[in-house]
Amino acid sequence: MRRTPVWIFLACLCTPSFALYPGEIYREDLRIQPLRDGRVSTTFSFVTVLEGAVPRNPMALGQVDESQHYALFPLTLGQILREHAITELHLTLNAGRWNYDNWGHPHEAGVGTGAELWAWMGASEITTVDERWSGLRNALSGLFCASLGSLDSRRTLSPTVAFPLSGSTPTFAPHELRHASLPSENVCTENLTPFLKLLPCKSHAGLASLLNPQKVFDADWHGMGIHVIWKEDTGVELKLTLQAVFNPVRTSTGKRRDWNLQLLFDRSIERSCPVASSSSITVILPEEKDYQIIPEYPAHVDGLAIYDLSSSSNFTIPSNIAMSWPSEHSFQYPLPPLTPVTPISVKRTIHGTTQTRGILSVSVTNNSPQEISAGYLEMVPALLTLWMHTLKVEINSQIRSDLLSGLKYHPPSPQSNDRLSPLDVASCPHNSTKDHARNFHRGQQSFSEIHRTSTRCDERLGSTRGRVFPAPSIVSRYPSEL
Amino acid sequence: MNTPPAFSVLVCLRLLLAVLPLPGQNLLKHDHQLSSPLTSYLRLNEGLWLLDNNIDPYVGGAFHHSPLLLSLFSTIVPPLPIVWAVSDAVGTWALLRIWRARQGLSSQKGTRFDVENLIVSVYLLNPYLLLPSLALSTSTFENTLTLLALMFASEGKVSSALLAIAFAVHLTPSSILLLLPILMLLVSSPVSHLASPRPFYGSLKRIPLLFGEFTLYWLVLVGAACIIAGGSWNWVGASWGASLTLPDLTPNPGLWWYFFTEMFDHFRPFFLMVFSVHLIIYILPICIKFQHDPLYAAFLLVGVLGTFKAYLTLADPGLFLSMISIFPEVHGYLRHPIITTLLHLHAALLLPLQHVLWVSEGRGNANFYYAASLVMGMAGGAGLVDACWAGMRIAVGDAKAWAEEKVDGEKGKVVWWEVVQQ
Repeated sequence: MRRTPVWIFLACLCTPSFALYPGEIYREDLRIQPLRDGRVSTTFSFVTVLEGAVPRNPMALGQVDESQHYALFPLTLGQILREHAITELHLTLNAGRWNYDNWGHPHEAGVGTGAELWAWMGASEITTVDERWSGLRNALSGLFCASLGSLDSRRTLSPTVAFPLSGSTPTFAPHELRHASLPSENVCTENLTPFLKLLPCKSHAGLASLLNPQKVFDADWHGMGIHVIWKEDTGVELKLTLQAVFNPVRTSTGKRRDWNLQLLFDRSIERSCPVASSSSITVILPEEKDYQIIPEYPAHVDGLAIYDLSSSSNFTIPSNIAMSWPSEHSFQYPLPPLTPVTPISVKRTIHGTTQTRGILSVSVTNNSPQEISAGYLEMVPALLTLWMHTLKVEINSQIRSDLLSGLKYHPPSPQSNDRLSPLDVASCPHNSTKDHARNFHRGQQSFSEIHRTSTRCDERLGSTRGRVFPAPSIVSRYPSEL
Repeated sequence: MNTPPAFSVLVCLRLLLAVLPLPGQNLLKHDHQLSSPLTSYLRLNEGLWLLDNNIDPYVGGAFHHSPLLLSLFSTIVPPLPIVWAVSDAVGTWALLRIWRARQGLSSQKGTRFDVENLIVSVYLLNPYLLLPSLALSTSTFENTLTLLALMFASEGKVSSALLAIAFAVHLTPSSILLLLPILMLLVSSPVSHLASPRPFYGSLKRIPLLFGEFTLYWLVLVGAACIIAGGSWNWVGASWGASLTLPDLTPNPGLWWYFFTEMFDHFRPFFLMVFSVHLIIYILPICIKFQHDPLYAAFLLVGVLGTFKAYLTLADPGLFLSMISIFPEVHGYLRHPIITTLLHLHAALLLPLQHVLWVSEGRGNANFYYAASLVMGMAGGAGLVDACWAGMRIAVGDAKAWAEEKVDGEKGKVVWWEVVQQ
C-alpha cells in the first residue's frame, strides 16, 4: 500500500509529456506533397506556444524586465525578443527560385530568394524603433550566422500594406514595421545548426531527426523561416519552418519519382520527441489514384494520409514512409502547355543589351476565369534609377493604362538608399497577360560602394558580383472570396 | 535685323529636324557624351512625371534640373523638340549679334555676309552642339543663355545681360566664371583690342553696382525657384549640389567621373574642393591678362568650362569651338590648329567607340573610356592654350614679317626670336 504513490510518481517521471511544462506547448508537423513535375515538397513546422505571454511593452524598456524561465521556448531567441521589445518577427533564409506555376503556393509563405527580415515593433521614446531594429539585426546575425547585419538602413523600408501584422495588434503602443531583404544572402549548413538548436529535442528525436544537412541543402529549393507572432487569445507563438523541394527523378537511378523518407533524408525517425504535444507526418495525396503508399495510413481524411508520431498515441513510429507509382516505368514530365497551378503568375525580366540601361518588364498572367485585382510591391536597389515616366501597361501589345490604379512610388530617401517602387493595384482581366515595362538606368558605382554592397558569401568567393534584385511581393484580392 | 542667307536656310533645316521623326533619337537621348545626369532629357521627363504624381522630384537623386526648367515645361510649354530648335536659332542669332557688336557694325548695314554665313554655319552645323540639341539635352539652353548674356553685354544692355547671366548661373552654377568678364564688358567695349593692349579703361566704380544688380536678379530667381519647389530647399542640394558633390558617377567626356570613381571615401571632400576651386582659379589671371578685351577673356573662360567642368558634355567644348569663329583676328596666330583639330577628331571618334566597347559590348572596361576622355581633355586644353597664346601673340604682331621687314639676313632671325621670347 505504501508503494503505490511512489509508483505513480515514478510513472509520471518516466512518461514525460507536455503537461510537465505548464504554459508551454510544442508541436511539430511535416507535410509532404508530391508535385506534378516529379518533385516532392516537404515542409517541416515546429511550433512553440508561450501561453498567455505578452510581448514586452517598449515603454518599459528602461526598467528591469521580468525574469525569463522557458522550458521549451528557446531562451536565446526569447532574450532577443524581450531585449528589443519585438511584437512580431519574420526571418526567412531561402535558396533557389520557388516555381509557383508548377508547385503552387508554398505551405509557408515567404519564399523570396536570400534573406528577408521584417519585424513589427512598438514605438517608444526610450529606445527608438530604428535603434532596436539595428540591435535585432545584429543579434539575429549572431544567432543564425547570417550576414543580416548588412541589412542596414540603406535596405530598410516600411511597406505596411504588403506586410501587415499577422497576429493581434497590441494596444500598448503604436506599432511600426521595418522590412529589409538581402537577396544575395545564401542559406548554408551553418544556418541550419543554430536553427536546430532552437528546437527542444534538437535533432535527436522527433521530426527534426530527419533534417540531414547534406540532403536538405542538396534539394532543388530549400529555405528556413523563423516566425514569432503574438495572438491575444493564445500568446506568443514561435514557428520554425523548413521547406525543401526534393527531386527524386534527378537522384534516383531509374528516373522514377518514387520517394521514401530514407531516400529523401537518408535518416529515419528513431524515437518521437517526448515533449511534443502533437507530432505528425501528413502526406498530401495526388489526385490520380495510381500511386501506392506504405504503410497504410490510419487516419482517413480526404486526400491526406496522416501519421501520428506523438508518444501518447498508440501508433508505432513508422520506420519509413514510401510512396511509389508501380505502373510507371520512369517518370514522364508533363508536356507543355501546362496550366499554372496558381491563379496569378508573374514573370519579371530584364531586357536590353548594354550595362547602363535596360527595360524591367513585369508580366502578370491571370490564369483564373474571373478578373483579379492584385497589388504589386517591388523594392529596387538605389543603383538602378527607374524611369517611372516610361511605365507602360500593355495587354496583347495594346496600351491599357486604365488597368493600373493607386500607383505609389517612393524614391530613395537619404536614410534608405533603396527605392521602394510602386505598390500599384492593378486589375487584370481573366485569362490574359499584362505587361508592365519600365526603362531603367544603372548608375556607375564608386570603388568604395562596390565593396560596401558585396556580402559575406561574395567575400568568401573572393569576388564582387552585381547586386541582386530583391523579390517583389504580390498582394492579391480575389473579387468574390475575399 | 537683316540676316545672312545661311541663317534662314539653316534655321529652317534645324526646325525641320525637330519636326521630322528621327530614327536614332532614342539612342541619342541615352548617349553619355551628349547629355549628363544634370542635362538629360530622360531625367527632365522623370521630374515632370514625379511632379505630376505629387512626389518631390528632388528626393531620390533622379532629378537634378532647376525648378525653373521644371515649371517651364510643366506649365508653359511641353518639352517638345521644337523648343530646342528655337533655342539653337536664338543662340545663333546671339552669336551673330556678338560678332556685329565686336566689329562695330550696326544691324542695318551688316554687309559681310560671307563671314556671317560662316559664323552661322559653324554654330548650327557644329556636331558638338547639334547632337546634344537633337538628344534634347538642356545644355542647349545653357549655351543659349551664355550667348545671350554675352550679346546683351556687348551691346551694353545692362539689365538684360545681368538677367541672362543670372539665369545661366542659376541653371549651371559653374557659369559664375563668366560673371566678371561680363561685368567688365558692360563697363568697357566689345571691340577687339587684342592687337593693342592697354590698361582697363572702363569705370571700375560701376562694377560693384552691377554686381549688386546681378545678385538681386539671382536672388529673385532663387526665390522663384523656392516658390515653385513648394517652399522646400531640396532642389538646391539636388541641382546645384550635384555639380559640387558629384553624386552620380555616370561616365561623361569630362575629367571628374573616373577620378571620383576610384577615390577612397576619406579623400573625396578634399578633392571635390580641389576640382571646384581649380575652375575658379582661372577667372582672375585671364581677366587681368585680357583686361583690354573682356569678350576674349569670356571666350577663354568658356574654353576653361568646356575642358574642366563637372558633368561635361560635348555641348560645352562645342560652344568654345563655335565661338572661335567670331575672333578671326587671332586665327593667323594659332600655333597648332591642326593638332587641336586632330585631337578633337580623335576624341570624337574614340569616345563613342570606347563607350560602346565598354558599356554595350562589355569587351572593354572603364579605362578604355577614361583614356578617350583624357584625349578629349587634351583636345580641350590644346584649343584653350592655343587661343590664349594667339590672343597674346597678336599684340606682338606678325613677328616674323615684322622682323624681316625691319632687318634682313641673319640678324633678322635673331630679332624674331627675341620678339617671341618677350
